[in-house]
Amino acid sequence: MNDLAQTTPAPIVSARGLRKQFGGREILHGLDFDIPPGRIYGLVGHNGAGKTTTLNAILGLTSYEGTVRVLGEDPYAKRASLMENVAFISDVASLPRFLRVRELFALLTNIHPNFDPQKARGFLEGTDVRMDARIKNLSKGMVAQLHLAVVMAINAKLLVLDEPTLGLDITYRKRFYRRLLEDYMTEERTLLITTHQVDEIEFMLSDIMFIRDGELILHMQMETVSGKFAQVLVRPADVDAARALKPIYEETRFGQTAMVFDGVERERLAAFGEVSTPTLSDLFVALMQRGPK
Amino acid sequence: MKSLTALIKREYLEHRGAFLYAPAVILVILAVIMLSGIGIGRFNAVAKVGVISGAKGFEFGFLALSALWMAYLLAALFFYFADAFSADARNNAMLFWKSMPQSDFKILASKMLAGLTVFPFLILCALILSGVVVFVGVVILLVTAPGLTTSDPGAFLASALNILAFDVGYLVLALLWYAPFFAWVGLLSTLFRRWSIPLAFLIPGLLGLAENLLFRNILAAPDAGFVLSYLRHRMNFAVGHEDIWASMVQDGTFNAAALYTRFLSEVDWSQLVGGVAVAFVLVYIASEYRRRFVAT
Repeated sequence: MNDLAQTTPAPIVSARGLRKQFGGREILHGLDFDIPPGRIYGLVGHNGAGKTTTLNAILGLTSYEGTVRVLGEDPYAKRASLMENVAFISDVASLPRFLRVRELFALLTNIHPNFDPQKARGFLEGTDVRMDARIKNLSKGMVAQLHLAVVMAINAKLLVLDEPTLGLDITYRKRFYRRLLEDYMTEERTLLITTHQVDEIEFMLSDIMFIRDGELILHMQMETVSGKFAQVLVRPADVDAARALKPIYEETRFGQTAMVFDGVERERLAAFGEVSTPTLSDLFVALMQRGPK
Repeated sequence: MKSLTALIKREYLEHRGAFLYAPAVILVILAVIMLSGIGIGRFNAVAKVGVISGAKGFEFGFLALSALWMAYLLAALFFYFADAFSADARNNAMLFWKSMPQSDFKILASKMLAGLTVFPFLILCALILSGVVVFVGVVILLVTAPGLTTSDPGAFLASALNILAFDVGYLVLALLWYAPFFAWVGLLSTLFRRWSIPLAFLIPGLLGLAENLLFRNILAAPDAGFVLSYLRHRMNFAVGHEDIWASMVQDGTFNAAALYTRFLSEVDWSQLVGGVAVAFVLVYIASEYRRRFVAT
């Protein structure tokens, strides 16, 4: 017991009974989760599922019921001091357009104790972003590169990305995530990311959380996904037999029936057709279906 | 302190248009108008006030422009506070500022401090430069137009320094006097963004109207009621104007030290200190609203 206590690091983020109401309507229904350090978490859900509200609660941007602790602190009460060790990019966030890149770095050097302007300059090397450029004259992709350079130059313990690549083309998106993984992630850092383009981040995630209608319906490590879920391209003759094992999702693709199973042994499924691990997007579609009301 | 200075500098970078570029343009226009006026003989001291010294003519011009620059500053500051307290939300940048380890109170305080220090300093610089323009104009008039007698350079310098000393003192007190009004429009800007300007007048106007309609005959209120009478008194920082005029038209050099004594005795100090405290409270309320409810 003591060994476990000594080897289990304190969670970077901890939420217990996290609830949030807007206009009398409950958006989050009592979320419970821990995010340990050094992990890359994906928080995935439909529009309006409560992803951004959850992130806002973690970042101290909104009030809530329940308990949330980030690095041991109440984020709503201690947002300003917490931001020394937490960095984030939001889908709607934009850098101040009236500044030049050089002015932005000089400003951040003085207002953020963990910002390193040399690192930020280094991250911009090889991009088209010039130090003398006005931010308002940069393209959307260049602003995203600049914003990423800024947050990567902050020595933070937790980086939160809320749809950071929204509106960017595929080239920028791939470069964005590659840079993040190669130049930023270390064992001491934790990354929490939400995006609709789940396939693009699947390769980098260590853990996944699915949120549906304000409730966490899946929270597990990526390596355990293959042990729990399986997808089978079922031969037409075996469809009825496969259905008897209660797939959680079924769809027809080019004349073949694909079924997703939860907790059914792969050996049993292999009798119906080719078994594989569902991609995150397949799993997302399977789990996000709302049941009949 | 380093971060507060950086945040004040940020305000300068964002709002320098009204306090650096616009005054520079005004100065150029002022110089052109003055030189054009001299060129077509519009300045004739003999016809207007009789024969005066060049230094006195300079005092007239410099004091008149001082008054104009102060009016410009107060108006520009009103619009600055109406904009600055909600400007961080412009172009979706609010979340960027919220990602910085700076409290909302510190950010709003930096806006208040920028409005009460950096921007008045810039206008003071413009005021000094306009004094140089007036001086050049007077020197040209000394050579080309009747009605001005020559003054030694020391007289010009004494006039300039006295007026400047008086301007600085007047400006500091005026800014502190009007601080609660600036904080009021700043608070409204935090709450209602661009609607802050009409609401800054509408809310007290409605309060005054309600008082007059509902309580006028019940309470022994002064003309126009307590609210509007108080605001009329509080909006007016017209202290020492007669003294300024008297000092301007006397034969000797404009005397800042003598004016200060009388000027300071006319200031309602309890109102001034109370107003600064109210400004502090209003900025705090604005910062709490921003912390709790403004996320984008």
